[in-house]
Amino acid sequence: MASHRVAELGHVGKHVPSVSSILRPDPLHELREWGGERLVRRKRVLDLGCGDGRFALGIAPLASTVDGLDPDADAIRTARRSARRSGLGNVRFGVGAAQRLPYRDGAFDVVLLSWTL
Amino acid sequence: MVHALHEVHRVLAPGGVLIDARPDSRVAASIARRRPRGFQVFGSVRTNRVELANDLASDRAITRVVGEGLFRRKRRGRFWHRVPFASLPDLRQYLREHLRFVHGATWVVDEVTRRRYANDQFVIRRAVRFEILEARRDLRAGN
Repeated sequence: MASHRVAELGHVGKHVPSVSSILRPDPLHELREWGGERLVRRKRVLDLGCGDGRFALGIAPLASTVDGLDPDADAIRTARRSARRSGLGNVRFGVGAAQRLPYRDGAFDVVLLSWTL
Repeated sequence: MVHALHEVHRVLAPGGVLIDARPDSRVAASIARRRPRGFQVFGSVRTNRVELANDLASDRAITRVVGEGLFRRKRRGRFWHRVPFASLPDLRQYLREHLRFVHGATWVVDEVTRRRYANDQFVIRRAVRFEILEARRDLRAGN
């Protein structure tokens, strides 16, 4: 599988699909560029277009809760598997679209559109 | 996109923030060979027209919801991200499959040089832009 090959090469891209999140910046690096951990620390975060959960899982140890939403059911299955493996209890993933968000008004302190809009 | 941003505003608590981050298509990405110290630029690669149009549409959507008073622009910036490749053929393969970039690069070194160093490690250095917006109370709805 492509991701294994990348891991063996030390995150060197070798025939990795261009949409693969592994070739995106590290979540904590990206967060630092945006202004630092304080942006999400102890906050209720929604990661819209979360894909395979790369970013949501990366910031979950800092946040109060993280919800990830993506229309791609396969990507959400991968995200849920990764969440189970990581043992993080404050992350939830769901299938859905940004045009109709399945959350109540004012449910979040931070919404991320990371490589999504 | 505007409808999605209205939904984002609805689910954000007043004073909450929206972080919009995406590749900066206004700036060409560079292709460089990794050297023991630093990088040697071999060329550049542009974003394809469809994605440029999408990015413009996203910009317009943000501008519109700011104009509607739903969000206030707080801060914006740009940083650079390197995508590494084991060789030049691998980088070219990546470009052929890529959804945002045009599939061909513009080279600043000749073909002989490209062949000579084809098995070296390469990177695509691309810009990522971000903007942080604060959710304001929707005065139109009385919320």
